[in-house]
Amino acid sequence: MKIAVCAKQIPDPANPIEYLNGNVIRPEEQVLDDTDRYGIEVALLLKEKYDAEVTVISMTKIGTEKGIQQALQMGPDKALVLEDDLLVGSNSLMTSNVLSELAKKVDADIVIFGTESTDGYAGVVPQQVSRILDIPCISYVKNIEIDSDVILTRQTIDGYEKVKLPDKCVISVTASGVEPRYPNFKDIMAAKNKEVNVISTNDIDFNIEQNMNFVEIKDISNSKQGEKITDEGEAYQLIIDKLKEIKAI
Amino acid sequence: MKTLVIGEVVNNKLSIGTLEIISKVKELELDFSVITVGNSEVSNIGSDEFSNTYFKSDPSKLNLSNCSHEIKTFIDENNIKLVLSNSSYIGRDIIAFLSVDYKTSPVSNVINFEINNNEVTTTNSINGGECEYKATLKSDINLILIRPKSFDQTEINLNDNCEEKDVNVNENTLDVFDKHIEEKSGPQLEDSKIVISAGRGMVDVSNLSLIEELASKLNAAIGGTRAIVDAGWMPYSNQVGQTGKTVKPDVYIACGISGATQHQVGMKDSKFIIAINKDEEAPIFQISDLGIIGDTLSVIPKLNENL
Repeated sequence: MKIAVCAKQIPDPANPIEYLNGNVIRPEEQVLDDTDRYGIEVALLLKEKYDAEVTVISMTKIGTEKGIQQALQMGPDKALVLEDDLLVGSNSLMTSNVLSELAKKVDADIVIFGTESTDGYAGVVPQQVSRILDIPCISYVKNIEIDSDVILTRQTIDGYEKVKLPDKCVISVTASGVEPRYPNFKDIMAAKNKEVNVISTNDIDFNIEQNMNFVEIKDISNSKQGEKITDEGEAYQLIIDKLKEIKAI
Repeated sequence: MKTLVIGEVVNNKLSIGTLEIISKVKELELDFSVITVGNSEVSNIGSDEFSNTYFKSDPSKLNLSNCSHEIKTFIDENNIKLVLSNSSYIGRDIIAFLSVDYKTSPVSNVINFEINNNEVTTTNSINGGECEYKATLKSDINLILIRPKSFDQTEINLNDNCEEKDVNVNENTLDVFDKHIEEKSGPQLEDSKIVISAGRGMVDVSNLSLIEELASKLNAAIGGTRAIVDAGWMPYSNQVGQTGKTVKPDVYIACGISGATQHQVGMKDSKFIIAINKDEEAPIFQISDLGIIGDTLSVIPKLNENL
């Protein structure tokens, strides 16, 4: 079994996001999106069960690849990275086309994603990739049970449902159910020696196709100058008074 | 512009998000029809005001992929140019599949849209809701995912005037062997006037009884942060935030919630926000109308006693 697991490099979420012409300004050094750690964990659980080969696939602008290293530190075997500044500002379908090409290049049976990225959170790329590759899609997986079979539990609008892992599919994993492993010092050192194959848009079948004309970005962060008090035992009364004042009770 | 709303079913009825989108397209007087996707028995999802076709899958199948093929046939036959759906589990899957078929990227997290001279302009929420991104679309067929609570729900007369169509399976359909519907009691998160949410500051799952007592006194719905849902204190359906529900109640009471951006996205448009948190620097205070710096475990029992 061959598994491709997607990892997105994003600007460190500890810093405020800035935009230029509607695109996120991406620094040289980007980090692994925490959301992807859940997908990587599922890939590693399957690796342990089936002795599968796990390849991290990613598309990114040219930079330090810190995020790719962080992904490899968790335990995947190698990485295939499409690095090209032409890709800055890609929409979801361009992203899916590139990632599908990468999944084909590593001959992946199973392609695994987080549900949505932290910086863009469109949440459609995994499903698009399944359509492009023409294989089943198991979205919003929130639990995995590994016994003689592998059973995936997926979130639905009003509950959950269970399906058996097929031979080929795309999975998107929500941030629950599995606990991503922390690499130790040995893992971190080992990752440095793992194969990272870097290619560019020249190496794949790719054309740029934007379907939106950017108009503007407006900052609407609404910092309120609300009342703030320290509780000295009577704050509950203030809450009750307020609830009455706004006629909530 | 001929428009299709892709709706979904929750508890045998049209979801609130679906009704919000229908309200909006009615207001804009668009020529629209509805396809509702689901696999349960339904009642009252039709109307005399618009056509609704219920695309019903076998509940023992995971079949959204083939369902979207059949929706595509409908779009082509009816010359539809604008497709709207909720940013939900079903909506995202269907719209994503269609986007590959039509070779056009969908627009996600849309909170408003307008149509002028046959051109669609969308406004979507980015950066955890701190910025609005405006763009015009230039595809032949525009696919849009709407964030819940973007539009007010207006009066829609529903009845059983709805055509039902069984959805076939294909090679990408999977068997579902265990399906579970979460029973919910009490007021629902999305339509309750008061929401009380719990975060890590509640310290232990046993303390949630305090929240339950307060909720029953205020006839409020209960929500929670991703942290406590992940910890198993509450079912996922109670999660408020980026990956959970979006709520917009008259009053939102955040109990022991620091207010990470991912949480704020789901509640910051509440009309009046009360936050109780020990940490004076907690980001939740930046968006609250009344902030109490204190231990939520000592404030709530007093509220319960005095309400």
